[in-house]
Amino acid sequence: MSGTRTLHVLVMLGGMIAWAVQFTIIYGVTSTLCGRGWADATLFGIGIVQAVIVATTVLAFVPTALVFMGLLRAYRSLEGEDASAATAFMMQAGILINGLSLIVILWQGAPALILPACA
Amino acid sequence: MDSVARRAAGLLWALPVAGCGGVQSALDPAGGDATGIYRLTIVMTAGATLIFIVVTALLLYAIFAPPERRAWLGSRRTIVYGGLAFPVVTLSLLLPYGLLVMRDTDVPRPGALRIEVIGEQYWWRVRYPAEDGQAEFSTANELVVPIGRPITVSVTAADVIHSFWIPNFGGKIDMIPGRINRFNFTAERPGIYRGVCAEFCGDQHARMAFDVVALEPAAFASWRSTQAQPAPEPAIPFLARGGELFRAGGCGSCHVVRGTEANGRFGPDLTHVGSRRTIGAGQFPNNIGTLAGWVANVQHIKPGARMPSYGSFTGEDLRALAGYLESLK
Ligand code: HEC
Ligand SMILES: [Cu+2]
Repeated sequence: MSGTRTLHVLVMLGGMIAWAVQFTIIYGVTSTLCGRGWADATLFGIGIVQAVIVATTVLAFVPTALVFMGLLRAYRSLEGEDASAATAFMMQAGILINGLSLIVILWQGAPALILPACA
Repeated sequence: MDSVARRAAGLLWALPVAGCGGVQSALDPAGGDATGIYRLTIVMTAGATLIFIVVTALLLYAIFAPPERRAWLGSRRTIVYGGLAFPVVTLSLLLPYGLLVMRDTDVPRPGALRIEVIGEQYWWRVRYPAEDGQAEFSTANELVVPIGRPITVSVTAADVIHSFWIPNFGGKIDMIPGRINRFNFTAERPGIYRGVCAEFCGDQHARMAFDVVALEPAAFASWRSTQAQPAPEPAIPFLARGGELFRAGGCGSCHVVRGTEANGRFGPDLTHVGSRRTIGAGQFPNNIGTLAGWVANVQHIKPGARMPSYGSFTGEDLRALAGYLESLK
């Protein structure tokens, strides 16, 4: 019982966790690369700092999107059935949290497309 | 009583108005970067004010309106559009806008005029490095720039941390001993502006300012070639006597006057001190009276400045000395 509850909470907060991980990786990797003077290094033609940020953003975005859509589908199929109020609430909260996290993850990756690395 | 209150109200009213224009105001941008930052500020301030007013009005409505009229405030639709969609759209527009302003601000440009500024307690050492045929020279407390040409100012400090800030040109940058920071800008209209030290650096921090003079390119070129010249010979015996007092007084142990034996590097370069608008790091208009007052009484008017007062000159000698300084155009 408590095992599934933990899982539900993790799923509900999934997007925020992905966002936190993305944040940590982007800041850590950017300051390390910039500190070592890798500002101009490139990977497949794009700057390595930008490449890391874009890759991390995709990595955070895709699982969040999957969780978001999964929750949406599960919530729709909940209609009719008499699920507990708590379950329904957690699903609603999960949809909202994961949906907003998708936007925030994009915002956090956006500077890579506009600003020069290490400026 | 009544007139005092009225005058106080008048002063309060004048305050924001007076703060907007002029030689030292971030709200009166004189360069491209400063204009971009200024626009961003206006957009943010106006937008935030508008949103604040609307939210406050809705809040009051929610508290005081009769229940049946305020019910729509709690509807799902209001929450989704007002609470989710609106902030998401607003922030999604503001973020790229802010990032674009950031990208276009303080960008080093090829062909920029390089100027070096060193912050010292409590004045600014300014150096124009040699550049295609133009000799290098030093001056102080004055940044003269041509309009339309990108400028790169490299800054550092000699003693403690200072901060270089010309509000009309945006940007503010720390001057840190042992480290060189750069600041890029372009002046767009001729004029006189004022820069200040923006990091507390000691007793006289508040009296550490400088003039910024933006000139047409031709005027700048002529200023530059004049500055690179050694000091003119005293034209009349009275000024020659001032020059002799300068030598005998030991001023040359701290000050350079190129073309004479004065070669002290501790204080400001005085080769063309007479051509500056102000003395004492932007504190006094530059004329024979303030020059004499400065020499006789520095420690009274700028206590703690790294120059001793010379109170023992006779009035006649002081006039000659100040006249000599003033003649160094
Ligand atoms: C111990 C070194 C020292 C000596 C000696 C000295 N000065 Fe100075 N002087 C300074 C310093 C430092 C400043 C900058 C002070 C400040 O603005 O905080 C200065 C500033 C000045 C200025 C203002 C320059 C400007 O552009 O703002 C003048 C003029 C001047 N000195 C004249 C003289 C004369 C004349 C004598 C000799 C009678 C003299 N000084 C002797 C250190 C010295
Ligand atoms: Cu200072």
